[in-house]
Amino acid sequence: MPIGDFAFMIPVLPALAFVLTFFFGKKLPQGGAIIPITAIAVSFIISLIITINLLQNPEEVITQSYQWFSAFNVGILIDPLAAVMLTMVTLVSLLIHIYSVGYMSHDPAKPRYFAETALFTASMLSLVLSDNILQLFISWELVGLCSYLLIGFWYQKPSAASAAKKAFLTTRIGDVMFLAGIVLLTTDLFRMVNGTIPEQLYLLRFDVIFSYIPQLSAMNTTVLGFEVTHLTLITLLFFGGAVGKSGQFPLHVWLPDAMEGPTTVSALIHAATMVTAGVYLVARTFPMFIAAPGSLIIVAYLGAFTAIFAATMGIVMNDIKRVLAYSTISQLGYMMLGLGMGAVIGAEAVGISIFHLVSHAFFKALLFLCAGSVIHAVGTHDMRELGGVAKVMPITAATMVAASLALAGFGIPKTIIGTSGFFSKDPIIESAYLFGAESGSWLPYIFAIVAALLTSFYIFRLIFMTFTGEPRTDYGGHESPATMTVPLAILSIFALFFGAISSETFKHFVSETFVNNFVHMDIHALAELGHYELAAGHGHEPLLIVWMPIIVATLGLLLAYVIYYQKAVDVSRFVTRDNPLYRLLYNRYYQNEILTEFFAVKIVYESISMATYYLDRGFDWIVSVLSYIVFEAGDSFRKVQTGNVRHYATAVVLGMSLLVVLVKLVMEVI
Amino acid sequence: MSDLMLIAPELIIGITGLIIVLAGLFMGRSSKNALGYLAVLGCLSAIALTISSFATTGSLLAEALVIDALSQFFKLVFLAVALIVCIASIKYTEGNDNAEVFFGLVLFGTLGMMFVASANDLITLYVSFELASLSTYALAGFEKKNARSVEAAMKYILIGALSSALLLLGISFVYGATSTTSIPGIAENIDVLLNNTVGILAIVLLIAGFGFKIALVPFHMWAPDTYQGAPSVVSALLAAGSKKMGIIAAFKVFIVALIALQADWKIAFAALAVVTMTYGNVVALSQTSVKRMLAYSSLAQAGYITMAFVVLTPMALTGGILYTLAHGFMKGGAFIAVGAVVYMVMAKNKDSEVPDHLDSFKGLGKKMPITAFCLMIFLFALAGIPPTAGFMSKFVLFSSTIEAGLVWLAVIAILNSAISLYYYARVVKYMYFMPAEGERFSEPAPYLVALLIALAGVLAIGIWPEPFINMAMQAAEVLLPL
Repeated sequence: MPIGDFAFMIPVLPALAFVLTFFFGKKLPQGGAIIPITAIAVSFIISLIITINLLQNPEEVITQSYQWFSAFNVGILIDPLAAVMLTMVTLVSLLIHIYSVGYMSHDPAKPRYFAETALFTASMLSLVLSDNILQLFISWELVGLCSYLLIGFWYQKPSAASAAKKAFLTTRIGDVMFLAGIVLLTTDLFRMVNGTIPEQLYLLRFDVIFSYIPQLSAMNTTVLGFEVTHLTLITLLFFGGAVGKSGQFPLHVWLPDAMEGPTTVSALIHAATMVTAGVYLVARTFPMFIAAPGSLIIVAYLGAFTAIFAATMGIVMNDIKRVLAYSTISQLGYMMLGLGMGAVIGAEAVGISIFHLVSHAFFKALLFLCAGSVIHAVGTHDMRELGGVAKVMPITAATMVAASLALAGFGIPKTIIGTSGFFSKDPIIESAYLFGAESGSWLPYIFAIVAALLTSFYIFRLIFMTFTGEPRTDYGGHESPATMTVPLAILSIFALFFGAISSETFKHFVSETFVNNFVHMDIHALAELGHYELAAGHGHEPLLIVWMPIIVATLGLLLAYVIYYQKAVDVSRFVTRDNPLYRLLYNRYYQNEILTEFFAVKIVYESISMATYYLDRGFDWIVSVLSYIVFEAGDSFRKVQTGNVRHYATAVVLGMSLLVVLVKLVMEVI
Repeated sequence: MSDLMLIAPELIIGITGLIIVLAGLFMGRSSKNALGYLAVLGCLSAIALTISSFATTGSLLAEALVIDALSQFFKLVFLAVALIVCIASIKYTEGNDNAEVFFGLVLFGTLGMMFVASANDLITLYVSFELASLSTYALAGFEKKNARSVEAAMKYILIGALSSALLLLGISFVYGATSTTSIPGIAENIDVLLNNTVGILAIVLLIAGFGFKIALVPFHMWAPDTYQGAPSVVSALLAAGSKKMGIIAAFKVFIVALIALQADWKIAFAALAVVTMTYGNVVALSQTSVKRMLAYSSLAQAGYITMAFVVLTPMALTGGILYTLAHGFMKGGAFIAVGAVVYMVMAKNKDSEVPDHLDSFKGLGKKMPITAFCLMIFLFALAGIPPTAGFMSKFVLFSSTIEAGLVWLAVIAILNSAISLYYYARVVKYMYFMPAEGERFSEPAPYLVALLIALAGVLAIGIWPEPFINMAMQAAEVLLPL
């Protein structure tokens, strides 16, 4: 049997594990953790075999489609893009599940935890292998639901409950835009087939959508005085969904708060599932983006801005998990920037962006799990209370340093020596340079390179504050158990060496997704449709540009070393309330004040509640009168039912007589 | 021989019924449990045969019976209901000395319904109708020591006798005017009844006869008392099975035989549909007995199905036919779930007056988690919430109503659906948001199996409606060729 026949099991097994764990987890040891672990392990093996098979035989893309109802289908599409995502999600999720056995060992609600994480993984997997946008959207919503449940896992804590609500509502804004995009797309497609759908044509399947791209880009409409094509509108709405899910500015506000869940959940959200869904969506519909004028440029600018914006906040946070949260937002910005670079490098953008996504998944999962290991042992998140942890937790410290090196992107250009982050982030920065050279707009490049400096600074600030020096408080602590350290070790191997061995193959493999596979897209023709000028060739950037990222990374490391290890500079001179810059950063650009308190509460909430108050009173009156009438009617009709058979027989005869009269009368009138 | 193969499912059900009744005579009380399994086996093989012969058409016994997509579809509905009723009854009749009578009657009743689905002649139709009725009269009074059960049977049989008389009278009017009892024959000789008061009388008499089974207001009054008093498994058979027999009979008689008089009977059905769904929903609001509430909800559902007669487009009939299948699963399942609750209440307190009172459902989510979950899905399905069978069938039916230009009827139906959500959701509130009294109760396996089958049906139609809609469409084409 070909391996493709088992593809459906990839999401189905974790979904089954969810059901089993949910109902029977209580009766099993460790909250039934073994069920999801086994299920995801099998899913991982299937995904891995599919990926290897696809690497060797690029034409063996797995496509399966079944009719669902009318012109919609359910199906599986595993092309290179989906295959690498599946493998990454299953692997990272598997390691996190194993790690959770140790991390959650003291929690009484383990069965619920493992059931929900299994469902989370299943939803993400089904999102990745959807072959149509509707199925993708359904999984997308399921992912959102699971994130809500897991962020609010400790729902007894008010902060966790409100963080869950915040995540759900903020991503909802994006979801609505995504849905609007799907609705617009569907109506356009229906119009194109003139309302009659040919047999076996599933409108929302990706290949069908892509084949209608020229017609979509020929449809124009006016929005706010701008003339835009429908294609641009649809892609921007899709991107709106991605902005919500992938925490891009300005919908990133939920991500730092999402730390209220268990640290393993943060790892799952930030590395394998959820936030990568948005990037994946843009990558999946990349042919539409590259054919839509302006869309890719917006993706690029917003991504670059998010990268630097989040990094600046990362340098002043004192909570170990919050630093990582801002780091995730910043890295997601890089991925979006990478996709936006499709404007100059075409389909290769998907390759470099997804490569960064995967390598980020490894080192960010590792960072979170290390942080979790520290928190598990010492019981605090606040870096100011830590210090010298490396002495008591050597394995955790070593793996965390490995992850930080990867995040900062250390490596030697033009050789195969380097961490995963080096091989994945540098091509994005280089393509940003290319973009500047081609278009004359240097902003994305400047943002990206400054963000790289900040990244290196904030992550080594974290390392030096947490692991070196003397303990600042008496926290006790011990090294974590093997179920926790083994996944750390495995992940750190990936963080260090994954890039060096697979970089070229991977990027080439994924870039081919849209060229000679299931969907045959002529990227150059599409780029012309979108008015993008693809660079003829690249790889000949000046030496300084090639070395620039590593130079700024080293600079960041040195700065952190001097300030936080050698204490050469008295930090407290800058870190005071009197320093306006620090105040601005520490208060996170007053986003809470501007976005939440002013915009959300004052303008939106108060005006709406004012309007609804009066509406409500009106409706209330109508509803209460209506329900009064209905209930009274119910009570009085009830008395008709006397229980006496004679009355029943009378009703039958009377009813018949009335019917005869009614029919007779109406027929006379007609 | 090949003729007999056409009614192989009926033969299997009939023979299984006979074997059960005979074998029961020689079996001890404790070994009678095996009879239930035999009945389940009979239903399963009949279902398999019916599915395998879904595409065949044919007629036998001088065209008194016809086999086509319509008859096979309804047979599937009846057999599916009989199956879940039989499975649940294995527990219900455990240790009962009269188990063979119970299963025999269930199978004979089902046999009658199946013959109605195939009937092509008014006499065949009437006789089969009576076979099903007589079996269910006896079933309703199965608990002969229980005054409520006996009262239920008594009311059922009295009103049933009256309705049979009306039905026969209607048939004789039609026969007198057309001098044939063959259903297609009537359609050919319909001229005499056109523009004739006798035609109107015949229509109203027939509606009264079938309306008794379908439980249309005002021919419904036996239904709440009987559904409440009869054993829950029997109520499931009545609401989910025998009600559909009235619908298929009405489909055949009105849409095939009396199609020329459609202007007249459409008015009658329009009035009945609106009155029935509104009355059923409004009165259901104030019920405290869950079985009674389900009985009134069953009225409302009959009102929705009746809309198919009023709209009378192929799509509307598809919706109506799909609705009968969906209703079979969701209402049958709901009654079985209530049966499981009644079983629990009776196990603790043998003299409980109203074992299906809403208070018995408090905290059911903790006490009987699987039953409560299934019941919740069935109730949501009845209210028409996706992704369940109830939503899909309502969607097809209501959208066809709008397409046909009868917006007013669709609006009434949708408003009614909104009202119904109140009393369905109230049960869910009792089950999940009220504290449990008493310990967790181990749920009897046969009830669970029956519930899970019904649940699978409800969800399958809701999530993957395409094959079911296609089947219903084929059945609808038999009635109203495109």
